[in-house]
Amino acid sequence: MSDALEIRDLHVRFHTRRGLYRALNGVNLRLARGEVLGIAGESGCGKTTMGLGVMSLLPRNASYPQGQVVFDNKDLVNLPREYSERVGDRFSPKQNERILRRVSKAMAPIRGRRISMVFQEPMTSLNPVLPIGFQVGESIYVHDPAQLARRVLARSKATPELTRELVSLLAATHGDETSVRKFAAEHDLAGIEEQALFVWSRGDIHISRKEKAIRALSGQPMNFVERWIIDTVVRARSIPWYLSRIPILSRIVRRVLMREGNRKARELLTSLGIHHAERVVRMFPHELSGGMRQRVVIAIALANNPEIVIMDEPTSAVDVTVQAQILELVKRIRTSVSASFIVISHDLAVLAEVCDRIAIMYAGRIVEVAPTDEILHKPLHPYTQMLISAIPTLEGKPVEGIQGDVPDMRAVPSGCAFHPRCPFAFEKCREVIPTDLPHGSDQLVACWLYEGK
Amino acid sequence: MATVTESKARFDELRLSGKVFLSNKTAVVGLAIFLVFIGDAFLVQVAPGVLGVQYPDSVVPPQFTQTNPECVGTAPEAPSFNHLFGTIQYGLSGIGCLDLLQLVMKAIRIDVAISFFIVLVGAAIGTVVGVVSGYFGRWLDEAMMRVTDVFFSVPFLILALAVGFVIGRTLVNMALALIIIWWPLYARYGRSLTLSTKEATFIESARAAGSGRLKIIFRHIMPNVLPPVLVQISLDVGTVILIFSTLAFIGFLPSNALVPELGAIASIGLDFVALGDWWPVIIPGAVITMFSLAVNLMGDGLRDVIDPRRRS
Amino acid sequence: MKLWVYVIRRLVLLLPTIIGLTFLVFALEHLGGNTLFLAQYINPHLTGTAREKLVEELTAKFHLNDPVYIQYFYWLAAVFQGDLGTSTTLGQPVATGFVWFMPNTIMLTLVASVLTWIISIPIGVYSAARRDSILDQGVRVATFTLYSMPVFLIGFALFIALGTAWHALPDQGNIDPVLLPTIPDAWFDHTNAVSYPTHILPLDAFLHGDWTIAWNSFLHVILPAVALTLALLAGIIRILRASMLEVLEQDYVRLARAKGVPERMVQNFHAKKNALLPTVTSYGYLVSGLFGGAVVIEDIFAFKGIGWWTTDAFLNGDVGVVMGSTLVFGLILVVTTLILDILYAFLDPRIRYE
Ligand SMILES: Nc1ncnc2c1ncn2[C@@H]1O[C@H](COP(=O)(O)OP(=O)(O)O)[C@@H](O)[C@H]1O
Ligand code: SF4
Ligand SMILES: [Mg+2]
Repeated sequence: MSDALEIRDLHVRFHTRRGLYRALNGVNLRLARGEVLGIAGESGCGKTTMGLGVMSLLPRNASYPQGQVVFDNKDLVNLPREYSERVGDRFSPKQNERILRRVSKAMAPIRGRRISMVFQEPMTSLNPVLPIGFQVGESIYVHDPAQLARRVLARSKATPELTRELVSLLAATHGDETSVRKFAAEHDLAGIEEQALFVWSRGDIHISRKEKAIRALSGQPMNFVERWIIDTVVRARSIPWYLSRIPILSRIVRRVLMREGNRKARELLTSLGIHHAERVVRMFPHELSGGMRQRVVIAIALANNPEIVIMDEPTSAVDVTVQAQILELVKRIRTSVSASFIVISHDLAVLAEVCDRIAIMYAGRIVEVAPTDEILHKPLHPYTQMLISAIPTLEGKPVEGIQGDVPDMRAVPSGCAFHPRCPFAFEKCREVIPTDLPHGSDQLVACWLYEGK
Repeated sequence: MATVTESKARFDELRLSGKVFLSNKTAVVGLAIFLVFIGDAFLVQVAPGVLGVQYPDSVVPPQFTQTNPECVGTAPEAPSFNHLFGTIQYGLSGIGCLDLLQLVMKAIRIDVAISFFIVLVGAAIGTVVGVVSGYFGRWLDEAMMRVTDVFFSVPFLILALAVGFVIGRTLVNMALALIIIWWPLYARYGRSLTLSTKEATFIESARAAGSGRLKIIFRHIMPNVLPPVLVQISLDVGTVILIFSTLAFIGFLPSNALVPELGAIASIGLDFVALGDWWPVIIPGAVITMFSLAVNLMGDGLRDVIDPRRRS
Repeated sequence: MKLWVYVIRRLVLLLPTIIGLTFLVFALEHLGGNTLFLAQYINPHLTGTAREKLVEELTAKFHLNDPVYIQYFYWLAAVFQGDLGTSTTLGQPVATGFVWFMPNTIMLTLVASVLTWIISIPIGVYSAARRDSILDQGVRVATFTLYSMPVFLIGFALFIALGTAWHALPDQGNIDPVLLPTIPDAWFDHTNAVSYPTHILPLDAFLHGDWTIAWNSFLHVILPAVALTLALLAGIIRILRASMLEVLEQDYVRLARAKGVPERMVQNFHAKKNALLPTVTSYGYLVSGLFGGAVVIEDIFAFKGIGWWTTDAFLNGDVGVVMGSTLVFGLILVVTTLILDILYAFLDPRIRYE
C-alpha cells in the first residue's frame, strides 16, 4: 500500500523586507497510512511552515523553490512551485497572491475533507462572531451537504414503528454497525444509521434515554419548501447551482441545511467528550475555555473523516491538566478513526505518548526519523540526544537545557546546519550537507558521524 | 565592546528602516513633492526674489495700485503661458491682475509653517499630558480621559469656530484654536502607547533596579512612545492643512486681512465662480490636495518603517 | 456582562462628559467678557436707557457680579429652560432657529451617511479581498486623493461641474427662488422661509401633495448630499479596507480556508462581519467629521441647515448662535456616539457577555 503522504525535498522561503528566510531546506518525509507521526524540534525550525505548506496555506510571501508534496498521486504544491521556478529571485508576493487564489480553488475539495489541520492557537482559531455550531457544521455543509440533507430526509421518512424496530435491532446486535446500515438501506432510510449509532454509542446517558432518543428520530416535520430543497440536494448529491447562486433562495437553503449541520455538530462534539453539546453549539468562542476550544477545533478537523490530520502543537497553548485531557483525546481518536496523523510539538514528551514514529527537525530539515522507542532510547543524531536530555524527568533531576541558539533562518549555517552547536562537529560537517543515512531497518539519520556504519 | 555592537545594531536598524522606506515608491514620490513644498517655503522666507515673489506677507501689497493703476477692476484671466495659474481679482470691482502662481508660492510658506506649528505644539502638549497621565494612572488618568472626552464631544470644526469667535479672527488665533482641538488626540495616543509600554517587562525590571520615575519616563517610555507619535505627526500635518484651509475658506480669516493662505485665496475667488471662473477656487484647492496627498503618502511609508508587521 | 449593565455604565459615563461640555461652552462665553456674554440676550437695535435697563436686569438674572461658579449655575438654569439667547441675524430666539434648521441638517447628514455606507462597504471589502488587483489599486489611488482634498474643494468641484458649467443640478439654496411665491401660506412661513410641519421642504411639500415644489427642492438636496458623501467616503473606505485586510490575516480566516470553505464564503461569512464591527465605532469619530463637513457644505450650497446658520452667525458676530450650536452639536455627537457604542455591543457577541 502506498504512503498516505510523501514530502519530497520541500523547500520554502519567506520573502520579507528584513530578508529572505529559508524556512524549509529540503524536507523528506513519508507518512504511512494509519500511522501517527510526530514532528519535534525547537520553535522556529519550520514545523508549522511544513504543516501549512502541505495544506498550501502559507501566506503570500512564501515561495516554494523546490520539492513536492505527493498526496493521492498528485503534487499539491505544483502551481506555486512552478511560479517560483519561473520567476526565481524576482518573486513578488503580489503576483503570488494570484497564484494562491488558484491554489485555493484547486485545494478546496482536499482541505478539510481529505487533509485537515488543527492550528497552533486554539484561542484565535475560531471566529469570534460565529456560533460554534455553525463553525463545526460548516465543514460538512461545505463538502458534503447531501449528507446533511439525507439525515433530515431519513428522519422525515422514518415512522415510529420503524424506529422502534431500529431500537430492538440495536439491542439485539449490541449496536452492530453493518446490520444497522443494512436495516437503513432496506427501509430506504439512508442517513438514519449514523444518528442511531451515535446515540447508541453514547456513554454518558442511560439506556432508556438512548432508546427514547432513537425513537425520537422519526416524523421530522418539513414544510414544502424545505422538502423540495432537501429532496433536490439528496438527489443531486450536492447543492445544484440554482440553489446556491440565487440570492435569497441560497440563504434559505443554507439555513435549512445548517440547521442540520448544527445537529451534526452536536453529535461530533458529544463524541469528543463535550458535555451539554446542545448548549455549546449555541455559544460563541469567547465563552469557552482553551481546552474546549481546542476540542471544537479538533471536531472541525475530524468532521469529514479525513485521511490525514495535521495537529500543530495541540497541547502547547493549554494548561497542564487540559493538556493531559487533550492527549487522552488524541489517543482515543487515533484508535477510533482511520486517519493518519501528523502531530507537531516542540515537546518530545508529548509526542512520545501518542506517536508511532517521530521525526526530528532542525533548521528546516528532518535530521532523524525513527520509531518512538528508538528515538527515545537510541537517539543517533547529536541534536536528538540534546532534545532528549532536555526532557524533564519525574525524579526532577536537574534538566539540561539545550545549549546554543536557534540559527537565524536568513543565514543558515553551511553544511550541517547544526555544526555550530554540535559537540562532535568536524571538518566535513561545515562543508557538506549530510544525506539521510539509513540505520537499522527503520531509522534515518542525517549526520556524518554515521557515514559508512 | 558592548557599545560597539550596540551602535552597529542601531546602524543596521537605521539602514534597514531606510531600505524599507525607499522600497515604497509612492512614499518616495510623496517625500519628493513634500520637499518641493518645503523648498518653496524656505526660499520665500529667505530669498523671495529668487522666485520673483514680492511682499510675501500680503495678498495685495499696499503700493500695488499706485504702480499698476490699470489693474483696478481688471477681471481674472484664465491660465495662460504668461500666467500659468491665471490671475485673480480681489473683490468684484477690486484690484485685478494678481498672479495666482505667485500667490500660491507665497501661501505655501504660510500654510506649511502653520501646519507644522499646530501639529508640533499640539503633539508636544498632548504627548506630555498623555505620557504623564498614562504613567501615573489612577485619578490623574481618569481626569485626563474625561477632559479629552469633553473636547471630543464637540465636532472639531465647530469647536474651532467657537474658539475663534471668542479669541478673534487672526491667523495666529486660528492656529491656537486648532491646537486646542488637536492636543487631546495626542493625549489619548500618548496615553495608550505609554500603557502598552508600561506593561512590557523591562520597565518592571527598571523599577526593580531602582531607577527614578523621571529616568524611567525618559529612558524607557519616551523611546517607545516617540516613533509612533512622530509618524502620527507626519500624517497629521497633511490633515490639519485641510482643516485650517477650510476654516479660512468659510471666512475665519477676515478677507480684509489679506493673508496669503491657500484657503483664504480660494475664498477670494469665490465671487467669480458664478461667472464660470474655476481656477481661482480650484487651483488653490488642488495645491492643498497635493501637499496633503504627499504628506499622507510619506506618512504611510513611515508607518511601514515602525510597524514590524507591515515590514514583510 | 449583560447588555443592559453595559448600557447603564455607558449612560453613567455620559454625565461627566455632558457636564464638561457645559463647562466648556460657559467658559467660551465668558472668555469674551460680560459684553459678549450679554450680546446674545439683547436686541442689537435696542439703544439708550432701555438697553441699559435690560443690561441691568440681565446682570441680575445671571448674577454677573457674583463669582464665576455661581454665574455658571444661573446660566445652566437658563439653558435647561431652553433659553439660549436671541439670534441677532435671525431676529428670533436661538432655540427657535434650531427647531427650524436642525431637521434639514439631520436629513442631509443622514442621507450622506446612508449613501456613504452603501457605497463604501462593497468597495472596501472587495478591494481588500482582491488586494493589489487593478481595481484595488484604482480604489487606493482614488481614496488617497479624495482623502487629501479639503471639503470645500470637493464641494466646489461639484458645484462648478454640475451646477455652474452644465446646469445639470441646481446648486444654491433649498428651492428655486422663482417657485418661492407659489408655495401656499398654509404650510409655509414666507417671512422666515420655513415650512411646516417637519421644516424639511421636500418632505413638507410631499406631505401636502405639491409635486413641483417637492421635486425642485429634492433636486436641491442632491448636490450637497453627494458632496458630503464624497467628503466622508474616502475615510470610511480606507478604514474598511484596512480592517478587512487585517481580518483576512487572522487565524480564524485561515481555519476557514483550511476547512475548504470557498473564498466567496470566507469573505462573506468569516471576514466581512468581523471587519465591519470595528468600523461601527470608528464611525463615531467620523460623525465629528460629518458635522464639520456639513457646516462647510451647507455654507457652500447655501443649504439652510444649522451649519449654514452657524457660519452666517460666525461671520456676523451672532454670539448666541455660535455658542448654541457648540452646545447642541456637542450633545448630538455625544448621543450619537452613545448609540453607536451600544449598537456595537449589541452586534459583537464578545462584548455583550464579557
Ligand atoms: N509569515 C512569515 N514571514 C516571514 N517569516 C516567517 C513567517 N512564518 C514563519 N517564518 C519564519 O520561518 C521559520 C519557521 O517558522 P515556523 O514554521 O513557525 O517554526 P515552528 O513552527 O517550528 O516554531 C522561522 O524562522 C520564522 O521566522
Ligand atoms: S553532521 Fe556533524 S555537525 Fe552535524 S550533527 Fe552530525 S556530527 Fe554534528
Ligand atoms: Mg509552530
